[in-house]
Amino acid sequence: MNYSSISKYALLGLLVFASCTKLDENAVLYDKVSGSNFNKTDAELVASLGSAYTTLLGTFGNADNIMPMQEVTADDIVVPTRGADWGDGGHWVRLKTHTYNADDPRPLNTWNFLFKGVNTCNRLVALFTPLGTDISKKYISELQALRAIYYYWLLDLFGNVPISTDFSNTTPPANNTRQQVYDFVEKELLANAPNLQKTGPNDESTYGRVNFYTAYACLAKLYLNAKVYTGTAQWDKAIAACDTVINSGKYALATNYNDNFKTSNKGSLEFIWVIPYDGIKATGFTYPLITLHMAQQPVYNIGLQPWNGFASVQEFYQSFIDPAQNPGPQGTVVGLDNKGTPTTGTLDKRLSNFIVGPQYLADGVTPLTDDAADAGDPDGKPIHFTPFINELAPNAWRQSGARIGKWEFAKGNTGNLSNQYAIFRFADILLTKAEAQAWKTSNWNDPVSLAIVNQIRTQHGGVTPYPTMTSDLFLAERAREMFAEATRRQDLIRFGLYNGAFRFHSPDAADNLGPGGINHLNVFPIPNTQINANKNLKQNPGYN
Amino acid sequence: MYQILSKGKPKHLCLLIISFLLFSVTFAQQGSLQVKGKVSDESGQPLANVTVLVKGGRSAVVTGGDGGFTISVPDAKAKLMISYVGFQSQELSVGSGTLDIKLSPIGGKLNEVVVVGYGTQKRREVTSAVTTVTAEQFNKGNISDVAQLLQGKVAGLSIAKPGGDPNAGFSIRLRGLSTLGASTSPLVVVDGQVGVDINTIDPNDIQSIDVLKDAASAAIYGTRGSAGVIIVTTKRGSRGGAPTIAYNGTTTAESPNKFTPHMDAAQYKAAGGADLKSNTDWNKAITRTAISQTHNLSLSGGGNGTSYTASVNYRDEQGVAIRTGFKQLNGHFGLTQKALKDKLVFTLDLSSTKRNAQIGWNDAFKYATIFNPTAPIHTKDPGGDLTGGGYFEQNFVDYANPVAILEQNTNSRVGKRNNFNGSATYEIIKGLKFSVRYAQENVGTYNWAYLPKQSFYVRSFLGVSGVARNGYAWKRDDESFNQLYENTLSYETKIHKLGVSAIGGYSYQDFQNNGFAVQAGNFLTDASQEDFSASLDFANGKATSASYKNGSKLVAFFGRLNLNYDDIAFLSASLRREGSTQFGANHKWGMFPAVSAGLDISKITELSNVNSLKLRASYGVTGALPSGSYYSLFLYGPTGAAGNLFYYNGNYISAYGPTQNANPDLKWERKAEFDAGLDFALFNNRLTGTFDYYNRNTSDLIFNVTVPVPPFPTDKQYRNIGTLKSSGVELLLGYDILKGGAFTWNTSVNFSSYNVTLASLNKDLAGSYVGASNLGTPGQEQTQITRAVEGQPIGLLWGPIYRGVDANGKYQFDDGKGKLTASTDYKAKMGNGLPKFEFGWGNTFHYNNFDLNFFLRGAIGHDLINTYRAFYENPTVKNSYNVVNSKYYNPKITDGQIFSSLFVEKASYAKLDNATLGYTFPLKRDGTIKSVRAYITGQNLFTITGYTGVDPEVRYDDPGNPFGNPPTAANTLAPGIDRRETWVRTRSFTLGLNLKF
Repeated sequence: MNYSSISKYALLGLLVFASCTKLDENAVLYDKVSGSNFNKTDAELVASLGSAYTTLLGTFGNADNIMPMQEVTADDIVVPTRGADWGDGGHWVRLKTHTYNADDPRPLNTWNFLFKGVNTCNRLVALFTPLGTDISKKYISELQALRAIYYYWLLDLFGNVPISTDFSNTTPPANNTRQQVYDFVEKELLANAPNLQKTGPNDESTYGRVNFYTAYACLAKLYLNAKVYTGTAQWDKAIAACDTVINSGKYALATNYNDNFKTSNKGSLEFIWVIPYDGIKATGFTYPLITLHMAQQPVYNIGLQPWNGFASVQEFYQSFIDPAQNPGPQGTVVGLDNKGTPTTGTLDKRLSNFIVGPQYLADGVTPLTDDAADAGDPDGKPIHFTPFINELAPNAWRQSGARIGKWEFAKGNTGNLSNQYAIFRFADILLTKAEAQAWKTSNWNDPVSLAIVNQIRTQHGGVTPYPTMTSDLFLAERAREMFAEATRRQDLIRFGLYNGAFRFHSPDAADNLGPGGINHLNVFPIPNTQINANKNLKQNPGYN
Repeated sequence: MYQILSKGKPKHLCLLIISFLLFSVTFAQQGSLQVKGKVSDESGQPLANVTVLVKGGRSAVVTGGDGGFTISVPDAKAKLMISYVGFQSQELSVGSGTLDIKLSPIGGKLNEVVVVGYGTQKRREVTSAVTTVTAEQFNKGNISDVAQLLQGKVAGLSIAKPGGDPNAGFSIRLRGLSTLGASTSPLVVVDGQVGVDINTIDPNDIQSIDVLKDAASAAIYGTRGSAGVIIVTTKRGSRGGAPTIAYNGTTTAESPNKFTPHMDAAQYKAAGGADLKSNTDWNKAITRTAISQTHNLSLSGGGNGTSYTASVNYRDEQGVAIRTGFKQLNGHFGLTQKALKDKLVFTLDLSSTKRNAQIGWNDAFKYATIFNPTAPIHTKDPGGDLTGGGYFEQNFVDYANPVAILEQNTNSRVGKRNNFNGSATYEIIKGLKFSVRYAQENVGTYNWAYLPKQSFYVRSFLGVSGVARNGYAWKRDDESFNQLYENTLSYETKIHKLGVSAIGGYSYQDFQNNGFAVQAGNFLTDASQEDFSASLDFANGKATSASYKNGSKLVAFFGRLNLNYDDIAFLSASLRREGSTQFGANHKWGMFPAVSAGLDISKITELSNVNSLKLRASYGVTGALPSGSYYSLFLYGPTGAAGNLFYYNGNYISAYGPTQNANPDLKWERKAEFDAGLDFALFNNRLTGTFDYYNRNTSDLIFNVTVPVPPFPTDKQYRNIGTLKSSGVELLLGYDILKGGAFTWNTSVNFSSYNVTLASLNKDLAGSYVGASNLGTPGQEQTQITRAVEGQPIGLLWGPIYRGVDANGKYQFDDGKGKLTASTDYKAKMGNGLPKFEFGWGNTFHYNNFDLNFFLRGAIGHDLINTYRAFYENPTVKNSYNVVNSKYYNPKITDGQIFSSLFVEKASYAKLDNATLGYTFPLKRDGTIKSVRAYITGQNLFTITGYTGVDPEVRYDDPGNPFGNPPTAANTLAPGIDRRETWVRTRSFTLGLNLKF
């Protein structure tokens, strides 16, 4: 071995060293899109815009987010514990009994979903701002309005949430007061609405997206609840916002209530803002799964086994059939006893909200049976949904409870419906106006209010107009119309009934710890995992 | 014995291979005088594979398993050289009669060769915490995983596999938990190939395993050394030795010996459960006595300049669950060839493994526990036969006939693994060697599952049922590839009394992974289950698919210097500078130094009864990579799956959003460890031992933490979150209780203690918890049950504290102020999932031709969350499910199930892991068969524990589900959860036969 051969080895080694010390990760980025090489084309920018909306798919149409927060805590929907099913550590029971805590999953999911929406809007505003084109300016207004709507839900559910608008600010945000959040939502909606399109419900260019009337529908709801949020009522503003929608002439009450909820409901003139669900392309509308009995899978030929969960309660069902609460044509309906014995009651067309009574196979004739029926259930193995529910937990009978049948379940659905889901529906805006008018005039028989309510009663319910109305009658009518549409908790709070007694819920202990001196239970706890991740966040009063 | 003549090698090798294949061996014999003899150690134990050669001649043989040999010599004046590694060589005249040769060890174990990173050392020179386990010390019996060989043998190395799933792997942890990085299992090096799967090599083919425990010894492996290093050395033929053909075979009968306690039919009826008029023991119905067999055939030997080994391993293992198990064929070929007057040494190792596995469905054990015990397995009644498949089914959530699950549905996996590992070393001048290595690892895994049209089972990882989807199929293919290129230059010399050895090198390794998965249903007939073109779901849009490709690169420069002053004082220092693509732009490179020193006190002062006493201390720094690539980058991707499209202007189009937060500051996890140890041999080497104390600090821990949205684009980020501190002691003692006679008895114990604390979190997370895990589906996906808290030990089990039930049978919990409450708002520590210490105790006895050994091991001080109890031990579940009724069952409870400390149990245990009785048959010296040993092994013979679940083994992490939707990674900060996916505990008996020709 001489010097030259040693140097040859050394040279060989050096060559290898030099060629293999580059560590740029982009060189091995085979299938990922890095932030630096995306949003370069119009198509990519549109796909980015889409991320502000696809967040919505995960919400209203299922059991995970806003719907159970607004409904299971109220008096119209319940998730009973059926033996080992739906026990889930007791959190469904806690929603109903108002003992929810900061570790519970529904507040967490909802918080995550809403702030993801907020943050996506912030990110996209920051993305579109430097572009400076007309279309990017339109997108910015649309995104700011959408962000305000996400904040409207946060305001309603959590109250003192942090307001975050600047995507470049990387400091985890601290809480704002409920008043500040209210002011922010109002200001943003008013400021951005003029730049939004005044398109109607069937205009594809804004279908599923926030337009001018969406912003005003949200303002109407914001003002309707302003007294709860800020202590100051805003009835006139609520009426004016409703009128902006109503007087546009683009919307109308559907001839048939069901037209809003059937599988092919696209095109309803009541749709102010929808989630354009699709069983394959835009999934998340899982009502067949959360409410139907497992044995009904073959009845509808669903791609998944249903979970036998969400149901209504007998008092709520009774508000449809009881002629005192709901005058109208009488006929045979499923009764309130523990067997659902047929009885005489009001035939409100909106009883289609429920799946009750005996259930059949797909042929519609052969009774559907459940060999695992509870021993105590008096109607035995044939599946018979009774409005009567024997108990909330732990052993509610498997067949007890009227099921949520409001949205049509198409045969062969994947478990995800293709029905459109209206977040803001014209009937709700009409009822908002009726209510604001009544509060404003302190008169539940105000002619404007009475006319609206009776129009809905006759057209949608096929029931008799109220000759006179009380706040209770108004609220009952609103509940029949808006069942399962995620407004009930908000409505009960507004009417001061949320902390009172109703089925499976004893009155809440009075306190004034909540924002603006309301009961602390009227806003939800901020999830502990969020407080853990964000040092600047403070828990709502009354929760630990 | 056969004489080996150094004739043309290729021909000879060829002959050997042919002989091997024909399974009949004939060899020529030469020479004029036959000499017989037997070689044994001082205690009379026969020594196998001792080289016996004729001085000045060309004949050489090795001894057989009984220590015997026969050699041909020219005449009676010939001299024989007897040599054996670790023993003093002997030279003796042949004389007449049978030779009885006793060899004395040199320096006892201190002369053992220890394999360390990029080299070997004599045991006496080792200055860091390295444990060697040789083939003789391996666990015996039905061994299907290399990790199992070491279980309980190395103080500080924890190896566990709860339950008896033949297709599940072992978790391996060094010193409790030393890193949160990419791999919490040690880096595995097989014959110099770095970073391969531990099961690259069949357990039968392993000569020894060295475990590098402290940071100083592992630091030369830099970025992947933090979880320790396991170096596997395969068997090699001895150069110049006779060819050895060995056969090892086992047959094992394995049966379940512990099920989750639950009500039987009578109890269930008495408790008010629905009576379906049958009586079925579901656990019995889904299990069996599993019969497994393994066959290992190996050939090894060598000629001048050549040594080789070739082996074939076949395993046919049944699982105790019906229709589960695997069949595996593995081959290994290793060759060492010297050339150019022995200055050039080539090595080549090829190994190939194919495993066909029937995974089955873990849910079967869950449903066997909770399925109505009064239900029949089969029925024709339409009320029970819900799918027309003839199995009894009922409509409950997360509930299906467990027999039907295993009999109807298929869940299979084909794994292929091919390794190539070649090196060339050239001795440039005496002591100076240049070495090049190139190695490849190719792994392919193909999964296929099918749920037929009459299958009711819903909660498979596919999330659907065959009946609802009209047949449903899943195929998934994953491929990974990595290649390693390394150069080293080493130099070894002696300057007076100072031995010097140094090595420097460069290492390059790249990794690539890719794969795809497809799911679809709606088949006309089950017969076309493997043909996706027969699925209607592609036409109607219901089929789903996924694919990926990712990769990374590692580059390193390293060096080490070892000094040995007259075998009295030792010093070692090493440094590795390593870079990875996986880090942020400013943190690509890390530096990993180590230094260690040792002093043999027995060489300085005369101590009575002390044969050696070495004091050593080390300090080193190792690193850890993140668990995947691209964590420093901000990434975009589709927002969810195909079902998450954006309705835009009349069409559904893709929506893209952030899929990963950037972290350009992501940097190396860094483990700094101090280790002080004492190695000793006392009383004529009769008592040997090793003691280690370590203290370490793992900083910049890499973990995927929850971050607030806003301001972050998505809710998880890989960060350097804080510091783990830990310390512990390890002790290994061996004692020859009886020595030298016909009856010998050696006992050895090892002990290790742990104490791992999450010392600090970075300022963003200060005061928080990280790594929380939850109770799981159904419905408790957000019920937190563990967490890691700043300033607290790792392994906290966290939840409401159970205080009893009130008069109405409602749960009562601690309210944190000393009062009882029904609210679960107050949560606190319920236990710890990691043990305080672990131990192993082995005993080996020899009496004439009999050998007996048994091995006990245990872990003390850990708790487990028994999730079976947490879901099903409550009388109110009886309307849906059978009821778990451990000793904690309280029939008075009227509440629905709520998670609390009621379901946390102490899980300390000691188990008789392994007992083997063997007999070596006395054979005629010159027979074709050189040695025959038969043995019987019992595994898992008994367990002493108070834990009521199936297996009290420590759960070192919370395993993720790579096949879930979405896939989840294992959570290393969440030990202590006994999931319902655990298979039952089993006991097995193995008959084994070792033959040598």
